Amino acid sequence: MRTRLIVACVVVVVLAAIPEAWLISLILRWYPSLAKLTAMPGWINDLLVTPHPPRNHQLPNLGAQPSHPEPVAIAVFCLVTGGLLLAVITGLAFAASRRVLSPVGRLAAAAQRMSGGDLTVRLQPRGHDELARLVATFNTMAEALAAKVGELEQMEARARQFAGDVSHELRTPLTAMTAVADVLGEQPGLTGDEEAAARLVSGEIRHLNRLVNDLIEISRFDAGTAELAPQDTDIAACVADCLRARNWSGVDSDVPAGLSVWLDRRRFDVIVANLVGNAVRHGEAPVTVRARVGTDGDGATELTVQVRDHGPGLPPRSVAHVFERFYKADTARARSDGSGLGLAIAWENARLHGGRIDAGNHPGGGAVFTLRLPVS
Amino acid sequence: MTTVLLVEDDPAAREGLELALRRLGYGVRCAVTGEAALDGLTGAAADVVLLDVMLPGLDGLEVCRRLRRSSEVPVIMLTARGTDLDIVGGLEAGADDYVVKPVEPRVLDARIRAVLRRIARPGSPAETHGELVIDRASLIVRLAGQEVSLTPTELRLLLVLSGSPRQVFSRDQLLGLVWEHDYLGDSRLVDACVQRLRAKIEADPARPRYVQTVRGFGYRFGPV
Repeated sequence: MRTRLIVACVVVVVLAAIPEAWLISLILRWYPSLAKLTAMPGWINDLLVTPHPPRNHQLPNLGAQPSHPEPVAIAVFCLVTGGLLLAVITGLAFAASRRVLSPVGRLAAAAQRMSGGDLTVRLQPRGHDELARLVATFNTMAEALAAKVGELEQMEARARQFAGDVSHELRTPLTAMTAVADVLGEQPGLTGDEEAAARLVSGEIRHLNRLVNDLIEISRFDAGTAELAPQDTDIAACVADCLRARNWSGVDSDVPAGLSVWLDRRRFDVIVANLVGNAVRHGEAPVTVRARVGTDGDGATELTVQVRDHGPGLPPRSVAHVFERFYKADTARARSDGSGLGLAIAWENARLHGGRIDAGNHPGGGAVFTLRLPVS
Repeated sequence: MTTVLLVEDDPAAREGLELALRRLGYGVRCAVTGEAALDGLTGAAADVVLLDVMLPGLDGLEVCRRLRRSSEVPVIMLTARGTDLDIVGGLEAGADDYVVKPVEPRVLDARIRAVLRRIARPGSPAETHGELVIDRASLIVRLAGQEVSLTPTELRLLLVLSGSPRQVFSRDQLLGLVWEHDYLGDSRLVDACVQRLRAKIEADPARPRYVQTVRGFGYRFGPV
């Protein structure tokens, strides 16, 4: 950068000096009297004009007719003076630009670090000019930003903590209600409204139970306390157990025997149960589960579990939102059995394994959810 | 009739659980605090203790620990949190099993029955493995002539493992055979119980002779 600047200066000096020298020599040739008017000091003339021997050096004789300087001499003179002048100007400009540019550079670097997420970055202001004021303002801004972000983080942590606490608090009354819910339904002789009321209360207690359990599960992810307990897991057995435990007899499972993967069995079960449960509730039969071990785009080994139904599929606008908490693809639809957190929990569990879940529609119809977990 | 000692401080939860247990055919005695539970156990025997973790004063873990000093009565922890800390703490304190609140009556019933079944298993005459004598008829275990006092779960685990010496049992298998958890049981139940059993029957629990770990698979009895 600096070399290029110097080269550019030299080129400018040379280019500027050539026409300058040429012009001056031309003017002097055509109007010799101008030489007198311009009052070129005689001693310079002596220096420039080589054919004449140097005269007295004590006082330049301004009144005497100066001899005309040679064009070449003029050119050399102009080149040297122009060059010196430009060098001085460039030097001054360079020094001034350094004074301005170095704080600007530091500011730019600091701003870059801050945009990278480092809110602790501060600069030392130097001097008392506008740049120093800018640096001071930058520091104030960084301070305010860090304070605001800290405040927001605290608020979010408190909100999450609150959701977790509420869920735990709900468990105690739910324990009493769950214990006696069956009693209501077992009463002989209940008819009409009483029977309907008993059934409604029992059913809603079960629903509330699911909701609270799911809230507690997701609050563990939010608090960062969810841990993996991986073990060698037979995928075929795990999927079969999962379907059997939930009484999903109509679900077709296509999992090769002997497929064993190192993962958290309970969490894998939760993922499969939530994906299949979602397909059973919101899609249409037949629901299929297909598991394979293959390679992903980067050549790494991964386990894919594809859950597909044969319903109308996901509305295009909801594909990006299905893993959000309490998201409902169709707001007009009646409340389902689920807690509204199933897919969010499945997604968090996949992420805890270092994997992900993709949602989309099959070209042949129906929604497809594909779980991808890295296999070490 | 099987008697359950229910230790629960929340009145509604206590009343609800008591009602559900009575309808399931259990005799129920209630204690509101850990201190009362320990007094209640010295007064009249209970067949199984249902112990809440969060109690005012002595908490459930401490109650379990003190209980284990003098009694081998089966203990099922009732944990409202379901957090790992509570569960691991309860198992280390000597609990036989745990349920997470809110618990459905049929699940509670199944767990209580499973814990109690561990005691009553008729078997063949005494077998000798090294210094360990296991009498399956009288359910007495002797180490170098000294009777070892085991909880029903520890005893059942020892009977299952020693019933097929040298055979490796996975944690899931043991959860089914000993705890009767049919699906997605917590393998920490097995590990905690193995630790407790080793502490009682092994000369050096760090280098076990009877209950050996088979890394990556599970546990086996012997070879002695």
